[in-house]
Amino acid sequence: MSNHPPKILLRLLAWFCDPDLHSYIEGDLIELYALKVKSKGRGSANWALTKDVLKLFRPGLIKKIKGLKKLNNYGMLNDFKTSIRVLRKEKLQTFINILGLTSGMTIALLILSYVNFELSYEDYNSNSKRVVRITMDYLDGDVVVDQDCETYHQLGPMIKEEIASAEEFTRAFGMMELVIEVNEKKFRERSMYAVDPSFLDLFGYELLHGDPKTALSEPYNIVLTANTARKYFQRTDVVGESIQLTKDVKGKITGVINEVPENTHLKFDLLASYSTMKKYLDKREDPWDSNDTFTYFLLSNEASYPQFKADLSAFSQKLTDQELIEDEKIICEKVADIHLYSNKTYEPEQNGDARVVFFLLGIALLVIVIAIVNYVNLSTAKAMDRAKEVGIRKIVGASVLRLRIRFFLESVLINLVSGSFTILLVSFFNDKLKEVAGISESTDLIFTPFFWSIFALLIVSSTLLSGIVPAVVISGFKPSAVLKGKFSTSKNGVWLRKTLVVFQFAIALFLLIQTLTAVQQIKFMQQKDMGMKSEKVVVIHSPSGRNLAEKFPPFRNSLLSNPNYQSIALSTSVPGMPTAEMGSTTNINLTDSPKEYRNNFFLYAIDSNFVPALEMEIVAGQNFSEEHNLKHILVNEEALKSWGLSNPEEAVGRKTKFWGEERTVLGVIKNFHQIGVKSAHIPMIFVYGNDGGYMSVRLGNGDILNQMESLETTYHEHFPNNPFDFFFLDQELDHLYKTDQQFQWVFSVLSVFAIVITCLGLWGLASFSVAKRAKEIGIRKVLGARVSQIIFMISTDFLVLVGVAAIISLPITFYLVSEWLNQYAFRIDLGMLLFLIPSLLILLVAFFTVFGKSYGISVANPVESLRDE
Amino acid sequence: MGKYQLGEFEEIVLLTIGVLYEDAYGVSIKLAIEEKLKRNVSVGALQSALKRLSDKGYVSSTEGESTSERGGRPKKYFVLTDTGKRAIEYSRQVRNELYDQIPKVALSLKGEL
Repeated sequence: MSNHPPKILLRLLAWFCDPDLHSYIEGDLIELYALKVKSKGRGSANWALTKDVLKLFRPGLIKKIKGLKKLNNYGMLNDFKTSIRVLRKEKLQTFINILGLTSGMTIALLILSYVNFELSYEDYNSNSKRVVRITMDYLDGDVVVDQDCETYHQLGPMIKEEIASAEEFTRAFGMMELVIEVNEKKFRERSMYAVDPSFLDLFGYELLHGDPKTALSEPYNIVLTANTARKYFQRTDVVGESIQLTKDVKGKITGVINEVPENTHLKFDLLASYSTMKKYLDKREDPWDSNDTFTYFLLSNEASYPQFKADLSAFSQKLTDQELIEDEKIICEKVADIHLYSNKTYEPEQNGDARVVFFLLGIALLVIVIAIVNYVNLSTAKAMDRAKEVGIRKIVGASVLRLRIRFFLESVLINLVSGSFTILLVSFFNDKLKEVAGISESTDLIFTPFFWSIFALLIVSSTLLSGIVPAVVISGFKPSAVLKGKFSTSKNGVWLRKTLVVFQFAIALFLLIQTLTAVQQIKFMQQKDMGMKSEKVVVIHSPSGRNLAEKFPPFRNSLLSNPNYQSIALSTSVPGMPTAEMGSTTNINLTDSPKEYRNNFFLYAIDSNFVPALEMEIVAGQNFSEEHNLKHILVNEEALKSWGLSNPEEAVGRKTKFWGEERTVLGVIKNFHQIGVKSAHIPMIFVYGNDGGYMSVRLGNGDILNQMESLETTYHEHFPNNPFDFFFLDQELDHLYKTDQQFQWVFSVLSVFAIVITCLGLWGLASFSVAKRAKEIGIRKVLGARVSQIIFMISTDFLVLVGVAAIISLPITFYLVSEWLNQYAFRIDLGMLLFLIPSLLILLVAFFTVFGKSYGISVANPVESLRDE
Repeated sequence: MGKYQLGEFEEIVLLTIGVLYEDAYGVSIKLAIEEKLKRNVSVGALQSALKRLSDKGYVSSTEGESTSERGGRPKKYFVLTDTGKRAIEYSRQVRNELYDQIPKVALSLKGEL
């Protein structure tokens, strides 16, 4: 027939159309098609037919499910119902699975949130990719001896002139620990920076009040953060107000900016215009004498960084050729890399460590893998309980796909429940995380868009990973074999599970050893001889003002008349303070030294009471006394090394070339830990000074509260209108171990988690194996095997796994733990015991995990397992 | 219309079946509606309306002759049942009552001038 419609369309219709209606509808279509061909031609008839056929695909007209097929198309609701029933029936297994996944996800999410925060430094600033910091390497020949992030203040304008890709620059000259007076009230501030006008632009700060063009252009212009403004004036629109920077310097507030974010390396309380410092800087005779300024550059675009680097290197060479700098090299680093990759002297704050961050990232992944592996392990081990269900379903005609969906749904349910618990737990541990990570309360660490996307990713990947394996394994059972009772899983399945358990044990062992090592190392550091005694020492910030040298002696005398106070000393720094608070200098050598050493020394001004007050030891020579002055210096043992001396006695009485003067070494102080036990001793030179910013008071025996109270009263009597800010030296020093203690805390949690989860996996494996071998064990018992023999037989199977795990894990662990310890200048030695004890511990835990199962089967009456065949 | 559920398109199909009387089957209904209302009716929409009408018991169907222009497929003829007739009657009555209640003024077309 010439005008018969295309067969394919009719076939399509026949495939989906309800058979009861099909013949009539097809008839209609053919008739209509013929009419259309006659009136409009074949093309449009085909088109109209296609549309009609497609529009016939609608409920009511498509095939209905009938008969036997209906048995297997019971719909998702039924799947859902049976899944819930199974989960409720297998309460213990469900509990273990949810526990494992929840804790795994919680730990992973918390770690990832922290890692994300650490990686987010400077992200708030849209310019950050184009901003670089100029820093300096100290060279001894070609060897870099030290790196300094502060440079010469004249470098900024010079480089801008010289290098084309340098668009804008700002310097930041830090002033630490100052006392600001506002309306007769004094406030102690941690840091103020004198900055160029482009600072706000480079660091992405917006002015809430004030004019960005002029805010930092005039001398004595001050920009406050909103927080500081509220602290001073209880409001933020304070442009035009004035504050007292020092006794005779007044600052005018010209702007208020938004908060300084937590994730920037350069934090401050207030800013001053750079020109405020001009008078001070102009006093310097040689601008190439002091490098004490941070310098930042905005590049014209991101891609010009390599060019800028090369140009800077050439510029540095030029300075050397002109003999402006000597043994120094000007380099730069990206501002976004500072927090994790830069660890130079005079960093504005303690930076993070990229290695730690990526280490944690690795751990987070391991943890989540352990949890998923566990789920897979348990559910495939339990699979034989499900074999009958699968067999029956298959016989009534269920397709493999249907069955997979059915088992997959169980994983989805488990994961969703775990996900909701995870959210609860994460919000519960949020504050603890911030505390451990040292992040301020107000920062959003969790429930950020990043958090939710990671959460979604975790749930989806965990569902997929933990759902697919059981779904495929369980749905693959052959119904004939299963229903005849000849069911057993393949050898491969057992191998897979054993491998997974070995893998888990290897990780658990590593975490346990790492934790114990960290505990030992921290204990070692806390007990180490510090070279001084920090207990019962209160450090007070000295009052502001120039006449401290006159006002201090009466204060000291009235304090020491009270037996509660043993001694009091003045110094420009105390142990535990950042090196940034000390001065540093190079090129100090003995006058008769055969060689010019180019080492860096840290400088410290102390009075004659400092050494006895902190109970430091003079190993050679003598301490300062009142009649000594700037003609004399003390050094520490480490400084002697810089001069190639080994015996402290040799140094006493020698003369040094010190900034163009001759100064005599009066004595040598035994090395004490100025910057914590973590780092090596630093070479230090002590000059005499009686107006330092810290007063160290050694308390006598007695009630601390009373002592502190009368100390404050006495302080206020002598220094009215000054804030009484103090800290306990031993507590401050403990802060230096904070990151290590955090690290230890994280690892303790992780190792407990890993051990528990791994044992759950082992337990699942043991129950599977015991159930499978029930008949064998029954026969053995009938033939006279003893309970102990059977326990031994089953346990060895599993203890071998632990052994294999140990063999794999120990070498890797040894390597990683040694690497970790290498970051400490003073570290413990790795003994055999540190590896042996955790291994035995894991073995013991594994034994007891299996014991429950093996004991149960070995005392069971063999009749139970043998009676039905 | 609590008593007789009838959608707008269903009502048109039902009336058309009445109009065509003994010659109401898929194609004829479709063509009749298209001619009268100047609107395109897809076979799918028509068939599902017919199915709903039979499910509600407004129409009944009988199998007719199969012809060669239908590729040997039979026709399915629809006729109104008594319930169907009452449904038409009911919906017409409701409409008339409503129409009668409209004030004359509201219907005057003058307002538009």
